[in-house]
Amino acid sequence: MANRLSRAALAALGTIIPLVGAAACNEGLQPTPLCPERFVGICGRVTFQGTEPDSTEGVLVVAYPRFPQSRNDLLTFQPFPPPPSLARPFRGSQIYALPLSTGRYEWVVAVWKKVGAFAPGFSNADSLLKEAGFYRDQTDPTAPGVVVVHDSSTDSVNFVIDFGNLHPICTYFPPCP
Amino acid sequence: MRALLLAALATVPLRAVSAQGTAALYGSVRDSSGQPLRATVRVVNGDGVGVADAQGRYRLSVPGGLVIVRVGLLGFQSLVDTLTLAAGDSVERDYRLGPAVVPLEPVIVTAAKHSQLLSQAVTSVALVSDTDVARRAVTTVDEAVDKAPGVQFLNGQVNIRGSSGYVQGLGSRVLMLVDGVPANQGDRGGINWDLIPLEDVARVEVVKGAGSALYGSAALGGVVNVITREIPSGFHARVRALGGAYANPPFDVWRFRDYTGALEGLDVTTSYGTAAARGSYTAGGWHSDGYREQDRRNHWQTAAKAQWIPTPETRVTTSGSWASDQYETPLIWCTHGSCDDRGQDFQPFMIEASGRGAFTRSDKGQLAATVEHHASERFAWQARGSWGRTDFTDFQPTGDDWGVANRYGVEFRGEVHPTGDRVVTLGAEGSFSDVRTNIFTGDANPTSNVVRTHDQREFAAYAEGERQLGRLRLVAGARIDHLDVDGGSLATVLSPRLGVVLPTARAGVWRASAGRGFRAPSLAERFVSTFVQGIPVVPNPDLDPETAWSFELGNAATLSSAVRTDAALFWTEAYDLIEPTVDSGRIQFKNVTHARLAGLDLAVTATPPVAGLTTTLSYTFLHARALAHDSVSERPLAFRPRHLLTLGADYQRGVIGVGGDFRYTSRLDRVEIYETDPRVAEKVLDLRVSAVWGAWTLRAQLANALNYIYSQVPRTLAPVRTFAATITWTY
Repeated sequence: MANRLSRAALAALGTIIPLVGAAACNEGLQPTPLCPERFVGICGRVTFQGTEPDSTEGVLVVAYPRFPQSRNDLLTFQPFPPPPSLARPFRGSQIYALPLSTGRYEWVVAVWKKVGAFAPGFSNADSLLKEAGFYRDQTDPTAPGVVVVHDSSTDSVNFVIDFGNLHPICTYFPPCP
Repeated sequence: MRALLLAALATVPLRAVSAQGTAALYGSVRDSSGQPLRATVRVVNGDGVGVADAQGRYRLSVPGGLVIVRVGLLGFQSLVDTLTLAAGDSVERDYRLGPAVVPLEPVIVTAAKHSQLLSQAVTSVALVSDTDVARRAVTTVDEAVDKAPGVQFLNGQVNIRGSSGYVQGLGSRVLMLVDGVPANQGDRGGINWDLIPLEDVARVEVVKGAGSALYGSAALGGVVNVITREIPSGFHARVRALGGAYANPPFDVWRFRDYTGALEGLDVTTSYGTAAARGSYTAGGWHSDGYREQDRRNHWQTAAKAQWIPTPETRVTTSGSWASDQYETPLIWCTHGSCDDRGQDFQPFMIEASGRGAFTRSDKGQLAATVEHHASERFAWQARGSWGRTDFTDFQPTGDDWGVANRYGVEFRGEVHPTGDRVVTLGAEGSFSDVRTNIFTGDANPTSNVVRTHDQREFAAYAEGERQLGRLRLVAGARIDHLDVDGGSLATVLSPRLGVVLPTARAGVWRASAGRGFRAPSLAERFVSTFVQGIPVVPNPDLDPETAWSFELGNAATLSSAVRTDAALFWTEAYDLIEPTVDSGRIQFKNVTHARLAGLDLAVTATPPVAGLTTTLSYTFLHARALAHDSVSERPLAFRPRHLLTLGADYQRGVIGVGGDFRYTSRLDRVEIYETDPRVAEKVLDLRVSAVWGAWTLRAQLANALNYIYSQVPRTLAPVRTFAATITWTY
């Protein structure tokens, strides 16, 4: 019995050692470019602040070629259809990559989406969507920063998403309901 | 047949030989390398027994006629010699003893505060022998210990079965002893692993689970006892030179310097001993360029030990060590935008630009004196005093932090053997710690630059009894500690322990134990007042001690002459664990966590039917949960891996040895900060080779041979592939 156990243990050792040794190859931390190779669009890091509201459905980043002048302009965002939400958890920070066509973008903004469906004509957009943060001008942090996308990626478009400071649409286009 | 003949001869009537007068038998006993042995020389078929002296010399008066002599010593093969002596003869016989073929069961001194066989311990104990230490061409004790079963180091902070987690070295839940003398820092409660020169280490005993019933505070998760070498007789010297190099980053985009980092060092040890007095002295140092940006380090150290043995029953030992370090501080690695990131999300070999220029100057030392006296076969006592000192300054771009701390300790311990099957260990211990500092001030305003002194006193008494009841060995004991902190609270903690050991004929040796552990908050945790990345850290003088109940059921078995196993199920319920908490925009240490750490520890040593080959496997499964409290739901305890696997193999053929270790640590379920940073499992392969030519020994190690890039704690790169070679000359 003891000899059988010994042989079994030795066989297990002889099997495990090469298997685990092989498993160790070609892994570990790897370089992580902010923008994927041959990517056209903008990349950066978003940093989360505040506590995520319980009613959060998601947070997504979009860009506007011109800063919206009216509520109707809010539908001129790119890319269209909108990208999926940033990955959970919404804590700490994470990098993002937003595919965009070449050109100039005046507002890169994070939009918080509340759980719920849109009514016809987006009449309930005020209650479901809020601005959660945007890329800011480096010299005037109160103003949106302008981003230019060339034939390759544009990185370092970093900004803060603050769950404690969400702004409904009516903040930009009053009156508020 | 020979044994039968000897037995028959041993029954020759004493009267027949004693009537023939006496003769003198003298000579020496040495081992196969010529070293003197204090062996026992006994006349088997009559009166006459003696013990060789420190030079291996013996002299016996033996009966004339046919004399059968047996020469023996623990760890060596006994030797039987048959002589015919005439009355009045004076005959010289020199004996050489070969090493015992069957390995002896290890003797340990930490689990019960007195020497006992490993199989008598009621808790799990992992041993790291001097051979294990020597196999690795490493520079500090932690590098040699971190492959012990159930032991893991997280960026220098030791964990036994997941005890400590990681709090940047503060408040270790493991007690470090040097020859039984507590050596944790007086202010931060951490451990200086580079205080003892590696060359002086004979072995390390790691006692797992709560050990406060004998050792008090900090032994919440276990005890690590570093035992230094015995000083041999005569003059001896050892010189060890170290050289090595660090691998460059495996990807060009991570390159941070245009040269290959190196490490080099030199240690010298000398000793001289006689039967009555012995002394040793070690000095040395090493330099490392480090493996990442801003990681250079210079280390100098010296240590001395002296023993006076006025009588065979009394031994006085004094020892001291001092180490000085100047090292650059690679705070956290660079993330996008915080350095020249080259378009990368993070640069693990580079640091944030804001942390450039940070470095630390650290001096630490320890003095200890111990008197041991064996008054009789039934009673022995030991008294000791110690003084440990740390002095550090962190030079930072935002302002310097510094602290000078002392820790004084005294202990008196008695060991009573009222009968052959009972042992009682009892004693009293006291310690006084103080710190003068500009960071652990207790000032509620972290922006002030005040300098203050704080101190903490601990008094304790303990007793533990062991009794043999048939095959059953029972252990019961308790310790009471009284803590007194200036500006803080008083606390009294009772730490009992119960244990049992049951050897069986077929199922190995079973052991079971239940014990309570505790850790007093360090002065640093109570009184810290500073900023961390712009967030104020405020003091909390009213912190309570952490406590824990540990339970263990273990079994050690020899499955055959080739396979030995040791397995243990463990369960720890920890209360009031101290953690840094963020509240109202400030950080404060608080007693917040009720945690459960349960799991399985398994160690297998196998000697396959290949001469010279030894293989080992150790595995720890850990289920570590922070239980729900206040509004926080149950979640994994931070910095505890679920799986810890170590495989090892060594092959010795003649003077050449080769070997390696593989360590797998599963990806951490949770970390405290930067939770969304990428993190991976740890898979590290170490390879080694050694060769011995007479007085010269060459050892080389390729640590992290696969150059696996990983981090154990957030934004801190773990060591990359490192080649190190040592050459040692021994006189």
